[in-house]
Amino acid sequence: MSNRRMEKAETEAIRDVLAGNRDAYRVLMDRHFCSVTRVAFRITGNEADAEEAAQEAFLRAYNKLPSFRQDSAFSTWIMRIAMNTAINLVERRNRDLSYHAPRITDEPAAAEHTVRIADRQAGPEGILLNREATSLRQAAMAELTPMERTAFTLRHMEDIPMAEIAAALSITSNSAKQAVFRAVSKLRRSLTPVAGGLR
Amino acid sequence: MRHFSEEDLIAYQLHESADERAVAKHLESCSECADLSESIAETLRVFSADPVPLPNLEHNWHRLRGNLSVLTPERRGSFELLRWKWAWPSVGLATAALVLLTVFGMRLHRGGELNHNVAVNGHGPLTTEPTDLAIANHLDAAERLLTEVNNSPGSLDDTTREQAHNLLLKNAIYASNARDSGDLAQAAVLENFGRVLTTLDNEPPTPHSTWRLRLEMNTSGLLLDIRILRQNDDHSQGAAQ
Ligand SMILES: [Zn+2]
Repeated sequence: MSNRRMEKAETEAIRDVLAGNRDAYRVLMDRHFCSVTRVAFRITGNEADAEEAAQEAFLRAYNKLPSFRQDSAFSTWIMRIAMNTAINLVERRNRDLSYHAPRITDEPAAAEHTVRIADRQAGPEGILLNREATSLRQAAMAELTPMERTAFTLRHMEDIPMAEIAAALSITSNSAKQAVFRAVSKLRRSLTPVAGGLR
Repeated sequence: MRHFSEEDLIAYQLHESADERAVAKHLESCSECADLSESIAETLRVFSADPVPLPNLEHNWHRLRGNLSVLTPERRGSFELLRWKWAWPSVGLATAALVLLTVFGMRLHRGGELNHNVAVNGHGPLTTEPTDLAIANHLDAAERLLTEVNNSPGSLDDTTREQAHNLLLKNAIYASNARDSGDLAQAAVLENFGRVLTTLDNEPPTPHSTWRLRLEMNTSGLLLDIRILRQNDDHSQGAAQ
C-alpha cells in the first residue's frame, strides 16, 4: 500500500473539517468521489448502487475523520471504506432478493455503454461487439460469484493491487488471487462457444 | 517438456506471476502454452474495462453536505460532553428511555416484523426501488440530526434547520408507509421525529428553543429509539432470507 505523503491541500482540508468547517470536505470529495464511485460501480454493477455506496463511504469517512491517522493517504483509506461499503451493499441486495434474480447480474445501464467499445480488430473480440455479445458478456459475468467478480474487476479493470483487494474483502492475498484466477478461467470458457477457435 | 498450467498463465497475463521470465521464455518455444496464453489475453481484452458513468459531483456534494454534522474538537470525546450543563438531564433521560425502549420498543417491533420486509411484503423487487436502503439512510439522517440537536450548545445553524426542513416531507412518507405496513413501532418513532422536525422548521432559532426542544420532545430518548429501530432493521433484514 502506498505510504506517500498526503498532499498539502488534503491535509489542510482535513484539519479544517476537524475544526468544524464542513465545506472543507468538498476538497476531498472533489478529488476522490469519481474514483470511489468507479470502483463501487465495478463492485455493485449499477450506477444507482455505486453512487449510494460512494455517498455512504464518504459519510462514514467523514464521521471517522477524527480518528483518521494521517500517516496513510486519504485516497487509500476512503477507497478501502468504499470497497467495504459496496461489498456490503451487494450482499444486502442479494439477501433481500434471495428469490429474485441476483441484482449483481442485471446491468440495464451498462448495456448502453458496453456497445461502444466496438472499435478493436475482428476475430472473437469483433464478434463480441454487438448487442447480443454485450448480454453474453453480462451473462458470463453473472456466472461469477460476487467475490470472484469483485476481485476480478478491481484487479483487472481498476488495476488495484491484490493486497488492497484482499484487505477490503477480508480475505488473504492468496485467496484474492485464487478468486481472480477462477474468474478469468470461467470467463475464458464462456467465450469458447462464441469464439470457436479458443481452446 | 513441463507445460504451464492455466492458472500460471493467467497469473502471467495479469503480471502476478512469480517468475515472469521463465514463462515468457517457455512461451517462445511452446506453441501449446502460447495458444492458451493468447486465449487468456483475449479473454482479458474482451472483459476489459467498460466505460463507467461519471457521477454528478455537484448533486452528490449537496446530498452529502446535508448529512454532514459539524465536527469540533469538543465532540470528539464523549467525556467532553459532560462539561456542558445540559448534558446531565440528557443522560438521565437517555437512561430512562433506554430502559423503556428495550422493554417496549423491541416488543412492539416484533409485532410488525413479519410485515416489515419489503420483499416479503410484496412491494415489488428492490431492484427498482431500494426501499430498505432509503429508510436506512433516512434513519441515519435522523440520527445525525438528533445528535446535532442534542449536542449543539447554542441555537442550531441554518444548515441543520434546512436539513430538518428537507427531512420533513420524506419522514411523513416513511411514517405513513410504516403505519400502512403494520410496523407500528417504526411509525410511532418516525411520527415523534416528525414533531421534532416540525418544531425545528417553525420556531425561530434561539439557544432557548434548542434547549426547550431537547427537554419537551426528549430528543435524547428519540435518538435512542432511532438507533434501536436501525438495529432491528438490520436484524430483520438478516433474518428475512
Ligand atoms: Zn508448454
